[in-house]
Amino acid sequence: MQHHIDNKTFHVEILTPKQNSKNLDVDLERFADKYMKVMDAGYVACITDNPMGLLSFQATEMIAELELPVKPEQVCIHLNTFHTLEHLHEILDTAQELGIKYILAISGDGNERMPKLQPEHIGEGKNAVTSVELMRYINRKYPDVFDLGVAFNPYEPQDHELEKMERKLEAGASYIITQPVLGLDERVVKLEEFKVPVVIDAWMSKKLHLLSECVGYEIPEDTPYDPVENLQDLQKHYPNHGLYLALLGFKTQYPHLQEWWK
Amino acid sequence: MHFVVCIKQVPETTDVKINPETNTLIREGVDSIVNPFDVYAIEEALRLRDKLGGKVTAISMGPPQAEAVLREAIAMGVNEGILVSDRAFAGSDTWATSYTLAMAIKKIGDYDVVLFGKQASDGDTAQVGPGVATHLDLPQITYVRKIEEVDESHIVAERLLENGYESVEAPLPVALTVVKEINDPRLPSLKGKMAARKAEIPTWSAEDIGADPACLGLDGSPTKVVKIFTPPSREGGEIFEGEPHECAEKLVKALKEIVVEANA
Repeated sequence: MQHHIDNKTFHVEILTPKQNSKNLDVDLERFADKYMKVMDAGYVACITDNPMGLLSFQATEMIAELELPVKPEQVCIHLNTFHTLEHLHEILDTAQELGIKYILAISGDGNERMPKLQPEHIGEGKNAVTSVELMRYINRKYPDVFDLGVAFNPYEPQDHELEKMERKLEAGASYIITQPVLGLDERVVKLEEFKVPVVIDAWMSKKLHLLSECVGYEIPEDTPYDPVENLQDLQKHYPNHGLYLALLGFKTQYPHLQEWWK
Repeated sequence: MHFVVCIKQVPETTDVKINPETNTLIREGVDSIVNPFDVYAIEEALRLRDKLGGKVTAISMGPPQAEAVLREAIAMGVNEGILVSDRAFAGSDTWATSYTLAMAIKKIGDYDVVLFGKQASDGDTAQVGPGVATHLDLPQITYVRKIEEVDESHIVAERLLENGYESVEAPLPVALTVVKEINDPRLPSLKGKMAARKAEIPTWSAEDIGADPACLGLDGSPTKVVKIFTPPSREGGEIFEGEPHECAEKLVKALKEIVVEANA
């Protein structure tokens, strides 16, 4: 992964249009516009995979259909475990053809309409497929093709989360992207022990009910929250880590990104 | 081979509101989707086509806006869609609907397997699939959870029972209703969505399918809806707190009181 601190490289989250989009043409155009802005700025476009279980188009099909350029150091696609084996291969084959290198393997973000990968499909004798099993499978089937990353949740019981992180790294994870972090968090500081690049999620929206869903505890909607202040706090507290901008406002916030990098 | 899949547009909600005057569903303000059970039928039809060759035709009876579900089916990979729509169909019960769909399938002509979801999420009757099979005089296998064998002359399928399953063999053409255990439906691809927008979807009227007007709509519907209502939501019940043996004693006491009250 390119040195995102030296290069002042933000990881910018981009959501793909939803399957039930009422105006697909407009949504496609918006996606392409955001993607190109991120490419032109030299940032990393981090494209989600059915976030929060909302059925959406895949990053790979968006890039392929819209014929968007792929700069391997600037594209990271999310990949969760809610796919059929056939669909998983479709995604991975397309990603390989497009030259996409970075994949963030995540366990969740499912939906009852989405099929879950089964252990027997990927030759894993465990009860459920998590990002660990998914990464092992990808590394077996696509050796040396992708650079795999994993998520870290500071809001889960830490003994279990850190033990899971060990297994994720053993399975081939080479970087970590956290859940949204608010200010200085010792649990995030501890990640430095793993000696892999860490990218901190900065929640850029004022929609605190969505943030509550992400962090797993209730943050009252009337809590004062300034996303830019939090972003600057994160830069101050974690000078060695990259920053992942979740739900960034492309109209209001994006034009100011360079000013905010201090 | 030709696979025909019958699909229905339903409201995207389980919180169905009913107009008490007309005894019909209130659809205004509620998004519409492909009946979730029909999505499994579409997927199975696509898999059969991919395995055996041929084409899949989706057919839907409904108002003009039901065209949207046919486009969704095309986005999943169905080859063509046909909308069966006419004011004469309004008020059809499952019998008249079955007749109408059967007439449309007859017009299609060369079909091998006709697939349905096990039931619609709004009506919940599970009658249309078997009804169409009856009108077409086709063998039917309902509640199919797995297709074991299929070729141009016969099919062997497992049908779900309450306490297990049974394997049933039938000649083709055949009608199947499928349950959700049968497959994991694919999501429409972006390419599919874009192609579906451009697809030409013919609309067939009552006259087009050669239907007998007496068998259509309200006139052709033997079902008379006396009353339709939303059942009141269940109350929360009582929670006993304390040690397990205390809770058990309280529960036994409460149950005895209910029995005594019921017998009084």
